[in-house]
Amino acid sequence: MADILINVIIAFLAGSLLLGLHRKIMARVQKRPGPPIIQHLLHSLKFFFKETAFPKTVSKPFYIGIVFILAAVWIVGVIVGPVTKNSLLILFGVYAIYKIVEHNSGSSSGSPYGKLSCVRAVLSAATELPLFAVIVLVYLKTNTMNIGGIISYQSVNGSLAVSIPLAALMFFLLLLTKSPYSPFAITKDKALVSGFETEHFGFLRGFIMFAESISWYVMLWIFLTIFFGHLSVVGYIIGMIVITFITSFINSVTPILNPNHSVMSQITIGAVCFVGTLIMIFI
Amino acid sequence: MVNQKSLCIVLLIISTIAILSCFVINFQDWVVYVIAVVGIPLWVLSLGLLTMAKPRPEDVEERVKEPFTGY
Repeated sequence: MADILINVIIAFLAGSLLLGLHRKIMARVQKRPGPPIIQHLLHSLKFFFKETAFPKTVSKPFYIGIVFILAAVWIVGVIVGPVTKNSLLILFGVYAIYKIVEHNSGSSSGSPYGKLSCVRAVLSAATELPLFAVIVLVYLKTNTMNIGGIISYQSVNGSLAVSIPLAALMFFLLLLTKSPYSPFAITKDKALVSGFETEHFGFLRGFIMFAESISWYVMLWIFLTIFFGHLSVVGYIIGMIVITFITSFINSVTPILNPNHSVMSQITIGAVCFVGTLIMIFI
Repeated sequence: MVNQKSLCIVLLIISTIAILSCFVINFQDWVVYVIAVVGIPLWVLSLGLLTMAKPRPEDVEERVKEPFTGY
């Protein structure tokens, strides 16, 4: 339990700071000073003490429960990833449930913005196709879905980022989709206010930010571990900062795509990378 | 509101005891995972429901109005 608690706290703190850094870099690219890097962490904590009321139109158990599920899902991510280094398939399940949370969070509120975001969450399930393809490709290459096994494989055969770079690109696409203000983030399009989070304010927003910080850390950890093997603490820190920098740069200079273009872009890039990686593995 | 507060205090105590018990008792791995997956979010949720500020009685009606639907 100590191991899990420590990893959850590290994931929350590191994830919050990385998301703060993400926001800062985006602001600097857009020639704004931006908030301090620690702002995301402070916001998450501050919201726990903010005035919170539950709108009349929400389905209350569902409205609160879905935020609980979001946190539970990413704690499973911490356990499967950094703590036990278990199967990638469980992580695929975690990500699938995350999509369900997006969908149901939107539908639990009475807001039309939340509901529209809920519909878009179904469309954005296209992001799971590249993730599933990555898992298949990594399995074909390493003959294991176990993260520990993949680390061992890379310690003998070298980094997977070198041997199957297009699969790494597909996973990076998933990270890009998951990052704030992403061109593929159709569920949180600003035309929908805050999308499925629109009606979750005050303490519940703080709870969502807690879970999202953990999710950003877990996703980065998995990417680095699967494609670069087991790194030192410094290696993980540098890797996470670099990826956060790249995603924030892309997001700050790219407008959000409309849902059709977003889905088609993800599927097209995923298909090209999948076929390309298969060719690299078998030919 | 009083019921919600009592429920949150009970849930906070239960989740705290469940998490702390994992340090004292040598449970099987799956039990620890279940307690972590349920207990940690429950602890945060119950703590948050206790720490959050409530609107003043005269403002409650205004706060719970759905701001976007136009109902």
